[in-house]
Order: sequence, then C-alpha cells, then structure tokens
Amino acid sequence: MSADVMTRPHPRAVPEARPGRPRRDPGRVLRLYVPLGMYLIFTLVPFYWMLVFALRPAGSADPVPWPITFEHFQTVWNDIGYAVFFRNSVIVGVWSLLVTTVIAVMGGYALARYRFRGRSLFMVVLLCTQFVPGAMMLIPLFSIFKTLGLINSLGSLIVADTVFNLPLSIILMSGFVSAVPFTVEEAAMVDGCGRLRGFLAIVLPQLRPGLIAVGSFAFIHTWNNFLFALMFVSRQDSFTIPVGLSYTIGEYSADFGALAAGGVVAALPVVCVFAVVQRYLVHGISAGAVKG
Amino acid sequence: MKMKVTWAALAVLAVTATGCGSDSGSGEGSGKTTITFWDNNGGARTPVYQELIKRFEATNPKIHVEYVGVPIASVQQKYDTAVAGGDTPDVGGVTTSYLANLTGQQALEPADEWLAKSSVNGRLATPMLDSVRKTVPDGKLYLVPNTSNMDVVWYLKDRLQQAPQTWDEFFKDADGLTRKPDQYGYTIRGGAGSIFQILAEMYSYSGIGQFFDASGRSTVNDPKNAEFLTRMAGLYKKDTPEADVTNDFPKMVAAFGTGKIAMMHHNLGSYNDHVKAHGKDKIGAFALPTGPGGRRTVVANPVDGFAVFKNSEHKDAAWKFVEFLVSHDGNSYWNQQTGQIPANTDAQGDSWVQSLDHLKTAVDTLNDPNTQVVSPPYYLPQFSSITKADTEPLFQKVLLGQMKPQEFLDTLAQKLTDAQAEWKKANGG
Repeated sequence: MSADVMTRPHPRAVPEARPGRPRRDPGRVLRLYVPLGMYLIFTLVPFYWMLVFALRPAGSADPVPWPITFEHFQTVWNDIGYAVFFRNSVIVGVWSLLVTTVIAVMGGYALARYRFRGRSLFMVVLLCTQFVPGAMMLIPLFSIFKTLGLINSLGSLIVADTVFNLPLSIILMSGFVSAVPFTVEEAAMVDGCGRLRGFLAIVLPQLRPGLIAVGSFAFIHTWNNFLFALMFVSRQDSFTIPVGLSYTIGEYSADFGALAAGGVVAALPVVCVFAVVQRYLVHGISAGAVKG
Repeated sequence: MKMKVTWAALAVLAVTATGCGSDSGSGEGSGKTTITFWDNNGGARTPVYQELIKRFEATNPKIHVEYVGVPIASVQQKYDTAVAGGDTPDVGGVTTSYLANLTGQQALEPADEWLAKSSVNGRLATPMLDSVRKTVPDGKLYLVPNTSNMDVVWYLKDRLQQAPQTWDEFFKDADGLTRKPDQYGYTIRGGAGSIFQILAEMYSYSGIGQFFDASGRSTVNDPKNAEFLTRMAGLYKKDTPEADVTNDFPKMVAAFGTGKIAMMHHNLGSYNDHVKAHGKDKIGAFALPTGPGGRRTVVANPVDGFAVFKNSEHKDAAWKFVEFLVSHDGNSYWNQQTGQIPANTDAQGDSWVQSLDHLKTAVDTLNDPNTQVVSPPYYLPQFSSITKADTEPLFQKVLLGQMKPQEFLDTLAQKLTDAQAEWKKANGG
C-alpha cells in the first residue's frame, strides 16, 4: 500500500520544463512575435531612411547607403554650424535638467508631505498649465526676458524651458515622494536627524527612478524645443539644434542629405539618454503616475 | 569627493552659459556702428550673405553687420514676436507676402526718400517696385526689391523634345509622356503651396487680367478658370502619381529628381536641385503656356527684398547696407548664387543671366510688353490663410473627386471677395 502510495504519481504533477528552455508554442509566435516584429519594422523604417539619406552620396536613389559617405555630416557640422548649435543645446538641456529636477524635488516633497490650504487647487492649477501652448506665452515671455536683459542669451531658454517643464515634473515627483513611507523618515528623526538631513539621507536615495524620469523628460523636452530657441534668441552663435535642423529646408529647395544627417545628430543624444535610463524610466513613470 | 566633482561641473556649466549668453557688443568700443540683419531664408543663403557682408564691411569699415539667419518657415512668426516685443533688427529680409502685415503694425520705415537720393534710383525694375507699392495702402516703398521669381514648367529634355506653347499642347504632352507606373507626364502640387500654383495656371489659361472686377468681386471662379481646373484635376492619377495629393515642393522636387516625372510646375528657385539631380544639360524650362489669342498672363510671384525697421537706432547705416545689397555688384552676386531674377536692371543685363536659358526666358517674359502681369492681393491680411489653411484641403478634395471644381472656386472666390471688401472698408476704399 505504502509502496503504491509512494510510486503513484501525483495527479496534478506536471513534468517540469528544463530551466532556460521555454516550451515552443507556435501560437505564441503568431500572437506575440509577429505583431511585435511588424511594429518594430514600422517604427524603425523611418530611422533606416534617415540613415540612408544621411550616409549615401547626394543624388543617389539607392535604398542601401553604399558607398558610405560622411559628406552630409561635414555639411551640417561645419557649414551649417552644428558644432555651435550642439554645444548650445547641451548647455541649455543640462541646465534645464538640473534646475527642473532640484525644484521638482522640493515642490514634490512639499506636495507629498504637507497638508496645506489650497493644496488640491494648487495641483489642479499645475495640471491646467499643461493645457497652455507655448506659442501663446511667447510675447509675454519675450517682454519679461527683454526687461530682464535675457533676450539673446541661453539663460532665456533655460528659464523658459524649466518653467514649462516644472508643473508635470512636480506632480510626478510628488508621486515618488508619497511612495516612500513617512514612517521611515520619522524613524530617522527619532534617531536625531532633522527634516533636511532625514530627507537627504533616507528619502533622496529612494527617489532615484523619479529623479531619472523627471530629469530625462526635462532634458528631452528642452533638447527638442524649437519655438523658444528661435524666438528668444536672435544671435547666430546662440541658436540650438532644432533651429539648425530647420536651416536645411529653404524656400525653394531642401537638402535631404543634410536634413537626415542633422536628424541623426539631433536624435543621437536623445536615443543615448533613453538607452541608459529606460529601465528606470518605465518604473519611474508607472510609480509616479499611480501614487498621489 | 563626489560633491566636489558636482560643484566643479556646475561651475563649468555656469561659466559656459554666461559666456554664451552675454552680448559681445562687437564694435561698440572701437567707434563702429553695429547693425543687425535678419535673413528671411537662413540656411542655404547664409554663405552668400556672409560674402556680401565681408565686401560691405571692407568698403564701410565703420559699420559692422551682425547676420542672423531665420528659417523661412518661421520667419513671419519671428518678426511678429520681435515687433510685439519691440526688439526688431535694423534691416530684415522681407517679401511682399507678409509686407502688409508688418506695415500694419507700423514696423517699417519707408525708403522713398532714401531711394530718391540714391545711386540705385532708376536702376531697379519698375514692375517689382510697382508690385511692392501696390501691396500697401499708402503706396510707399517699405521694401526695396532684391529679387523676384517666376513660375516655369521644368522638363526633362530627353523626354520632351519641344516645349508646348499652348495649354492644349501641354495637356496632350502630359498624356503622351505617361508610361505608368514608371513614368508620368506631369506632377500636381496637391499639398502645401498648391493654391498659388493652381492660381498661376488658371489665370494663364483664362487670360483674365485682374483678381477682382470693378465691383470688388473675385474673378477666381470665372467659368474659364473652372474649365481649366476641371481639366487639370482630370490629370490626377491618369498622368500624375497618386501621391501628388499631398505633394509639397520638397516632395515634388524630389520626385522630379528621380526621373519619373517629365514636367513639373514650380519656379526658378529649384534650378540648383534639378541640376544636382539631372545635370545642367538635361533640364529645360518654359514659361506657363499662353492663353486665348496667344497672350501670356503671368501671376506675379512675391517680391523679395530688404526693409529698414522703424525701431532701428542706426537707420542711415541700415540704408547704406540695403543700398549696397541692391547695387549692381551686390544684387548680381546674390542672384547669380541663388539663380533668381535680379531687381537691379544693370544686373539683369549681366552675361551670367543671358547664359542661363531659364533665367533669360524669365527676364524676357517679364519684360515683354505683351505679357500681362496679374498681381495677387498680397496686401490682404487674410490672403495667406485663405490660400493655405482655408483652401488647400479643399483643393485636395477636388483632386480626390470629393468636391466639384466650380464649388471649390466659388468658396475661394467668396473668401477673397469678403477679405477685399473688409480691406477696402478699413482703408477707405
């Protein structure tokens, strides 16, 4: 009897799959990989064409960029002035990232940890600012910057982009701060930390995904902003990459090679930023979105 | 250690940001007058202006010109913001397309008095000066013409042996040159900028000489214009690629560059692209075919030139720069580099103009006393929106067979008539 019991297989026992070798399911390939593959092709084809135009010689209609030429990159970098535009974009992007992140952390902490009169209204107002298009604010901002002597300086772009980045960044950051239990902070205070020390030692390290999400959004938004870069600056050596990109389309002609090469140069930092931070970004967006 | 590195990085950023942002104030300390010049089509033209500025500064060592290239697609918005903010340049490139908008904001200084005393007086093409003066209600010269353009039909010489003279010949050629799906006789501009081209074609076909009749009604919906539009829309997909419905000029020029298209209506400005794609000897250009009785009617392209801004603190220096740009040498160099029609009549006679067939054709056509020039109402503040946002999608419907040509023209005519009446009322007409 006992032998029977010992040898009888468990009715629900299923042979274990070997680790690292998922079962082959033809349906899964159709359901998952085929649509994903098609979507990937759909997404990457424009990038492929951009690379083709950027790397093949002018006048070629070959779908494969061969022989490869870098003449269009030389045109955009040296003749159109991307060397200067790129430097300006980096300065504006990094400054905006830093200022946005620092202020968003402070604002987000305040919204998450303090209960004050008008807090909900303040959140609504922050959200409402997202519905105001930048073009509507051009002339008021222009007048303010002119009064402050900021017109024609990269400072105007840093301030304007930061201001437009802040509402969403603060809302996101308040979600991240809320996700850190206040009891942890209280424990630090019991151990003798002040609020600032407790924040720096306990909360800030846990906000890393949030800092990366907010910072990368701020950088990418600033990097791509064409309108402010053109309107608040009227000096050739202070323009940024998006303005340089628009130089390749003239009134009666378009230099597609230079346009594509410029597009590659403009997209590269954004792609790199995404590649580095994407694992934080996905977690960061979802965490910031659901906690409030 | 980490903190030190962070602070060092911040310090470097601060220095770079301030360094780039500060005004260099070039020339202020050396007794030089600095004027700012905005190029209204920055990019390809930038080296041309840089060379001209170098030449100007060599002969005027007390004046320094600061060049700013503004992308063509955003130039109007840039000017509007600068005018509203009171931070305009000393000199700006301006075309008659948005001249009325700028004069309406009292942004420009009339150049009549300067021109009267200038060495270029009497040496600028009269039709261009007239076109500029007609654009503004007070008839003053707020823009000194630098160049103009003309609509032509570009064609591949190895496909089309002889340029058509009449529209009937044109339609016959468009059909005869089509070998679908590899070759098409013609390409229609169905996307951005379509309305100006179709207007130029319709008036050339109908031979109507005015945009408005004596009572102020638009002539756009004349039955002859509708007849032409019906014939042109009939070419779509028959003798043109299907993608033409969204064709803007870069797509159209690119398609012509592949060699699939035999004829393409554009203007002189795309010459360099065609040469790059096909070589100088393989392309030709003809003026839009003649209308009834063999008379040629040309719809005037916007005149491009330079304006001195009212806010300028150095108006005389600004005028000196404008005067240099439209002088024989300056104007000839600029137009030779860009392949357009010089405004300076001395430059029009230069050998380089005579040696380029398409330019010679254009200059001869415009100077021919039998050519009838129709001036579109660029002075209407709504002209741009009417001929772009309001009616470009409707033209696409005509091509797709979703709207009748007469219905489309009636809509366009009504909008133009209303805008004209409003303008007349505002300007005491």
